[in-house]
Amino acid sequence: MAEKNLPKFEEELEDLEAVVTQIDSGDLSLEESIGAFERGVALVRSLNQKLDEADRRIEVLTRDAAGDLRVAPYDHDPGPGELDDDTSDDDLPE
Amino acid sequence: MAGQLEFELREPPRRVALNVTQLVRVVRETLEVQLDEYWVNGEVSNLRRAASNHLYFTLKDSRSAISVVMFSSAGRRLRFRLADGMQVVVRGRVNLYEARGTLQFYAEEIEPRGLGALQLAFDQLKQRLQAEGLFDAAHKRALPRLPRTIGIVTALGGAALRDILRVMLDRYPNLHLLIRPAPVQGPTAAAAIVAALEDLNRDGRAEIIIASRGGGSLEDLWPFNEEIVARAIRRSKIPVVSAVGHEIDYTITDFAADLRAPTPSAAAQMVVPIKAEMRRYLDRIATTIASATRATIEGDRRHLAHLRARLRDPRMLLRQLRQRLDDTTMELRRALATQVARRRAEVRDRESRLRYPAAACAIVAADRRRVNGLRDRLHAVIRALAANRRQRLSAVAQRLDAVSPLRVLDRGYAVVTRADDRTLVTDARQVEVGDDLAIRVARGRIRARTTAREM
Repeated sequence: MAEKNLPKFEEELEDLEAVVTQIDSGDLSLEESIGAFERGVALVRSLNQKLDEADRRIEVLTRDAAGDLRVAPYDHDPGPGELDDDTSDDDLPE
Repeated sequence: MAGQLEFELREPPRRVALNVTQLVRVVRETLEVQLDEYWVNGEVSNLRRAASNHLYFTLKDSRSAISVVMFSSAGRRLRFRLADGMQVVVRGRVNLYEARGTLQFYAEEIEPRGLGALQLAFDQLKQRLQAEGLFDAAHKRALPRLPRTIGIVTALGGAALRDILRVMLDRYPNLHLLIRPAPVQGPTAAAAIVAALEDLNRDGRAEIIIASRGGGSLEDLWPFNEEIVARAIRRSKIPVVSAVGHEIDYTITDFAADLRAPTPSAAAQMVVPIKAEMRRYLDRIATTIASATRATIEGDRRHLAHLRARLRDPRMLLRQLRQRLDDTTMELRRALATQVARRRAEVRDRESRLRYPAAACAIVAADRRRVNGLRDRLHAVIRALAANRRQRLSAVAQRLDAVSPLRVLDRGYAVVTRADDRTLVTDARQVEVGDDLAIRVARGRIRARTTAREM
């Protein structure tokens, strides 16, 4: 699993939410609350970066004849032969 | 059978007329004896539900029809809603409705045609996997709130993929999606879905997998009811969201998955946050912590100002302390003086109280005087007594002196005693010639020898 060493988005988000709870509690000393504030700001920045981090990328994973995995970009215009006849679920309000 | 009926009806040679009731009863009894229970295929038409909840419809095929009644007691066991045009298989018996003399099929059980076995299989598998614990809530994993990569198992070009992509990219434009195509219906579909789940796990980048297909008949959805698919989902290291068919369709996959989405679009909504909302949320948090921290600092600043106001010049404090020391010293002196005065007064008071009973003192003094007088008198008496005795003693001594023999000797008398035994010689016969005599005179003694005696 690539990039597994980086903190995950939700871990940072949980940290941030914990920081907010801490600051909101009003139990922190001046130094602590400034420290918490700095950590919160750093987390917000990091999370905002993470929101933009990924490029829009749609790939198709397939297995070749040898059984190895191959990744190819997704072609938005699939050929008619690939169509399955499942019906859409347009009944869902968007 | 028709021949038999014909024969029986034609049999009586004599003209014995039956009434209608009798005739119908004969027919009914014949039917009851002759006809067994049957499973009958046909199409439902002219379906009516009576107030009594009995179901009435006509079961027909291309050439024939028969009216069917299903009493509510049997109808309650129906797992699905019966509708006109539905191909069904009905279990029941033929009998005669006596009131109208019409033939009726009394249905005990109805199954959708061709799906009865599948339904049964579904129920049995669901029960078995449930008992095994495959669907336990404890297996359900939490989904990441912002998955870096989302794996999708579905048919390329299917409606499900189209819906998922549309909703996801709408909510979050810069997503990484990894599609692992698999046929989602037909006999090869289940194995293909299993392989797809395994491939996404091998690839390892996806943080969520959505296994999906659009709506269809139970038969169409069937691959998602296969045991191998359910087990592959449970084996997956990556959490799996099941999104199969419409909202009303439930599959085994739905139960095995970490999360069931009612439709493919709903799966996209559940898995991908709206980026703009996420951004707003973060902004709101940033604002909150900034203002909260500012409030903390402001509070501390006020506290500090308050403390500073209470803090005074130390020299001032020293002066004050000195003054206080002076005050205290003076006070101490005053107190001391007061104390001394008070003590002095106390002593005086006690003294005066000691002197006060003069009568007692007078008595004591009188007694003392009396004692002294007595003592003096006693002394005088003793002195007088002593003098008296001394006088009397001297008088006695003079008288004694006067009668002392030594006085007689002064007048020339002598005291003669035998020299040997000092016996007083008052008779001449007490001595013999030659005896020594001791003679005491007024001054000194004389020794003499008897030379003669005279009687």
